[in-house]
Amino acid sequence: MTFDINKAWCQNAGARENSLDIGAGVIAADPMFTHEGGADESPEASRLALGRFINLMRRDQGLSIEALAEKADVEIGDLLSLEKNANHLPDVRTLYQLSEVFGVSQEKLMGLSGLTHANDDYVEEAVRYAAKSASVEVLSEDEHMILNGLISVLSENAKKK
Amino acid sequence: MSATTPSDVTPVWLTEKSTKETVDAELWHGIVDKNLADWEAEWIPDLQRRLKLLNQQKVERRFWPQSRHWDWREKLREIERRLANLSFAIMVEDMTQAMMTIDLTKRSRMPGHEGQHLVYIDFLEAAPWNRNDLAEEPAKFSGCGSILINAAIQQSILEGFKGRIGLHSLPQANSFYANACGMTDLGQDATYENLRYFELKPEKARSFIEKGKGE
Amino acid sequence: MSKKTMTLNLTEAEMAVLEGLCEKKDLSKTVLLRQALRLYQRVEERLERGDKLFFEDEASKEKAEIMML
Repeated sequence: MTFDINKAWCQNAGARENSLDIGAGVIAADPMFTHEGGADESPEASRLALGRFINLMRRDQGLSIEALAEKADVEIGDLLSLEKNANHLPDVRTLYQLSEVFGVSQEKLMGLSGLTHANDDYVEEAVRYAAKSASVEVLSEDEHMILNGLISVLSENAKKK
Repeated sequence: MSATTPSDVTPVWLTEKSTKETVDAELWHGIVDKNLADWEAEWIPDLQRRLKLLNQQKVERRFWPQSRHWDWREKLREIERRLANLSFAIMVEDMTQAMMTIDLTKRSRMPGHEGQHLVYIDFLEAAPWNRNDLAEEPAKFSGCGSILINAAIQQSILEGFKGRIGLHSLPQANSFYANACGMTDLGQDATYENLRYFELKPEKARSFIEKGKGE
Repeated sequence: MSKKTMTLNLTEAEMAVLEGLCEKKDLSKTVLLRQALRLYQRVEERLERGDKLFFEDEASKEKAEIMML
């Protein structure tokens, strides 16, 4: 008994699926897995801080998401999700590219995203700064201040406390 | 010994991501020797190569592709004589691109519909070169997930289960099932590695196979 | 996949149960009987391995074994 799946449907499906990952079923036992229940259980707060940082930097440079994507040579989708979706796990390469464009530490961006384990308390500081900002218009004086704070925390040479 | 030919073949199409072209493919009803051979000879070595790269980039182990330790041959051996299970594979250019096994005896956990029959997807996996969560080159073909979900839905309809399906999603696939398929997130399952359990309601299932999105 | 046909003789009581279950589960007789067959095969498989089949009382957590003849 065959199924009824036509070509047009498949074409739409292929486009829709695009960069999404598929996969279902139990993870095989691996003694080295951390038991934190899967990849997306990283604290939302640090991811939100990352998104806020990217958003503020972008606007500070007067760039639209599209323009930044082009400048950093990354996928628009990844950027959009990074800024707006706290559950989004970014591409390692995307973070590398952004760290280059923004002049901050790639490792720290990875730590914020949850891709790597962040050892320092820069995460806490970044989250604190990010929590202070909220709107989406041109950066206000306050936002400039917040952004400067974030930049200093996330730059390569930030002094450790 | 595993079967050598699938019981049925449905023609389908995948999208080659680099060229955006549509390629001819086949949905095999039943995972057979050839698929397992591809898994052993092609999937595993390719996966190991990519894992090495991930390791070099120091990406945390818990973000490594979660399905890498499944043993398909073992799984198939377990289910091949069982009426309760069916399996499927997608082929392009004589190479296995994705595989899935389903269970026909599980029931719904959807509040208000508990106990109703559904097709439960035991395992669903794409070949390493078709995945986005691995290092290096972007995915080769897209569409495998949607086609397999479509197949599960149509099987569910054939069985009289009205298209209802359920599955435990790997963390990086949550977005695909929730958004692209329109499945309902019923939360993390503490009895199943804390994976999220999703179900697709009959109306959304119908909508998915007709229009392509569970809306 | 080709299908085979079979005629099934049931008593009135058995038919009543079958029809009752079908209505309750909203399944056709064929679908329901196929499900029953699948479950039966699965249970046999486990029993042959030496496993036992239990029902567990939600409240008391007591287990009662189901004897398969």
